[in-house]
Amino acid sequence: MTPEELAQIKVDKSVDARGTSCPGPLLAAKKAIGQIEKGQVMEVLSADEGTKRDIPKWCTKKGFEYLGTVEESGYFKIFLRK
Amino acid sequence: MAKKLCIALFSGSVDKLTAAGVILGGAAAEDMDVDIFVLLQAAFAFKKENALTNERVAEITDKKDEFLASLKRLEAPHWTEAFKTAKEMTNVKIHICGFAGKVWHGEKLEDFIDLADDIVGIGEYIDTAENADINLFI
Repeated sequence: MTPEELAQIKVDKSVDARGTSCPGPLLAAKKAIGQIEKGQVMEVLSADEGTKRDIPKWCTKKGFEYLGTVEESGYFKIFLRK
Repeated sequence: MAKKLCIALFSGSVDKLTAAGVILGGAAAEDMDVDIFVLLQAAFAFKKENALTNERVAEITDKKDEFLASLKRLEAPHWTEAFKTAKEMTNVKIHICGFAGKVWHGEKLEDFIDLADDIVGIGEYIDTAENADINLFI
């Protein structure tokens, strides 16, 4: 999805993992994914550079749909659909 | 079938234990089955009286204070917390090597932190390592 599309997307669950280092954001995503239904959208906020690659890979392995990443000031938002 | 990770954890140093904790986090995110075999020096770190007070590092020892301060600054969980989180999220079994336990005067499971599941012999490690997808020596 494009950054414009991601800016408009309805987020069902937001996980703020900006205070944690690797593997904190990945584990926060893993914990939170159990709290949403299939088809719902989750965003993960992270300032940990490695997360940008880890979460898309994790999505592929777990069968979730990685939607894209949006850069913000000092952090980024990673979007995925369960 | 879950992938299997087998770690021969020899080190009793906070730097290597912290690295093991990070790897465990990655394994937990992927729902791997993990077996950790606590060997020699690691058994020292797993003793109840040592787990939280032990601040030894294995490498770049002249920068120990900077390293430990950085872990605090980054709010990295203590390795015992990282291990605990992984145990809560996936199937992690922590086995204390019987010989290692004895070296550090730990004869019984109660001598070690609650994360430890059992005391085993080295045959158990070989069996597990043979069937693991990933084997690490830390």
